[in-house]
Amino acid sequence: MAPAGLDNLKHIVVLMMENRSFDHMLGGLSLIMENGAKKYPKINGLTGNESNPDTQGKVITVQPNAKFQGQLDPDPDHHFPGVDLQIFGGVPPGPGRVGNMQGFVKDYFTQTNDVNRSHNIMSYFTADKLPVLTTLATQFAVFNGWFSSIPGPTICNRAFAHYGTSFGQVGMDLFYLLDPIPSIYERLLQAGRTAKIYYYDQQSSTMEIVNLLKNQPQIFGGFNQFLTDCQKNTLPEYSLIEPCYNDHPGPGGGEILASDQHPDHNVQEGEKFIATVYNAIRTNPAIWESTVLLIVYDEHGGIYDHVVPPVCTSDGYCAKAAETGTGENFNFDRLGVRVPAVLVSPYIPKGTVVPGTEDAANGRIFEHASIPATVTGFFLHGDAKRTEREKAAKSFLDLLSGPKRPDTDIPFFKLRGH
Amino acid sequence: MTTHSNVIDVPDPAPGSYNENRIAGKLLQSQSLHLREALIQHLGDVVAVLTIDPRSLKTEGEVSDYIHKATAILHTHASQPKGK
Repeated sequence: MAPAGLDNLKHIVVLMMENRSFDHMLGGLSLIMENGAKKYPKINGLTGNESNPDTQGKVITVQPNAKFQGQLDPDPDHHFPGVDLQIFGGVPPGPGRVGNMQGFVKDYFTQTNDVNRSHNIMSYFTADKLPVLTTLATQFAVFNGWFSSIPGPTICNRAFAHYGTSFGQVGMDLFYLLDPIPSIYERLLQAGRTAKIYYYDQQSSTMEIVNLLKNQPQIFGGFNQFLTDCQKNTLPEYSLIEPCYNDHPGPGGGEILASDQHPDHNVQEGEKFIATVYNAIRTNPAIWESTVLLIVYDEHGGIYDHVVPPVCTSDGYCAKAAETGTGENFNFDRLGVRVPAVLVSPYIPKGTVVPGTEDAANGRIFEHASIPATVTGFFLHGDAKRTEREKAAKSFLDLLSGPKRPDTDIPFFKLRGH
Repeated sequence: MTTHSNVIDVPDPAPGSYNENRIAGKLLQSQSLHLREALIQHLGDVVAVLTIDPRSLKTEGEVSDYIHKATAILHTHASQPKGK
């Protein structure tokens, strides 16, 4: 007999934010003490002693001084060669090379040309600064080992969430479906199921899926429609929500802030957006008990994390040295830097921590191919053309293992002006 | 549905956070380029239909094929979400 959470599950919702590392957003949870002991001992966050050398050889430790805006401008490098420097500390590609996560400050110096400002890449938020993300992480489930799919930028990483592959891309180029693996949306629609991508509005639009925008316009909706669908019990079986990617005027005036949390966009606006998505699901009891919400970041955005990304099953593609910019081919056989990932459902036991690389015996590694893998597994019983990478990716629905928690045990976010 | 103890206040960003004059980063520039590519592809579909002279269509099969292509383009154009 399946757990009650799976029996009741009708909707999987994914909110994919932008460009923040695990340690930057959630690493501070590990430093919270209660009654002389760590309050969250299972979370693989920071000890406070992690460090990187700067370009002058000075040791720079992590600092709890992350700011909501204005600190990571210019945008930290997160393209393939830059991430290679961040992970391997400047050791050139070659056999036996091992990641050490020692190149973040040096790489940020290439953007800032300012030694002091390059230290900002080691900043992290204390939990009180991020009440939404840290509350959800500690009240539901947080993944110690969710990694971006590629040590590179947005477009190729988001592709893994849609297709379980980036079709050989490691950069920001438009990709063409020469050997098409159907997207998770197409798979579901072809099987008579329902799926939607909700983008914020037409000024923000969708990010990387031009192929879908051209060929599958019916799968798109605006964020207001998501809110309405939650109210009216018309949420599709699978939804992906895109935050607002730019500051722009609102309809009829006013100001709409980017909510994606991409540096240098305001992190608090992203917190409000996460809270809005959560509240929309939480407010309708029928949707709340039949929905699981995954909040995840597409990649680390060049910001420090202390966990060395592990190897993974290849998706069968190879990016040539000219495309990687490192002088070495990339076979899509290792993951990118760790990102925050939080799973929300009333059937998840409070305070669940999914172990990652720190637990050799029980650790489970997730990445964005886990999204189509989970959705395909649950709604289509795995019946779809997909990459070996996606087939090997872990599903996360087993975390809905508990009885339904009472409403008194479930947080609710109060937004100003609401 | 909620109790006082589990309601969490979410602060607003500081006034002045909005900046539509911020220099667009690589991500937004890539997004614009990709959308332009999609427009070019879309335009190609439109041009392919416009090169057909409806007066040259003789059979119901030919006309229905034309109507199908034209309607699909117009429907695609009209079905974009209005957003927020």
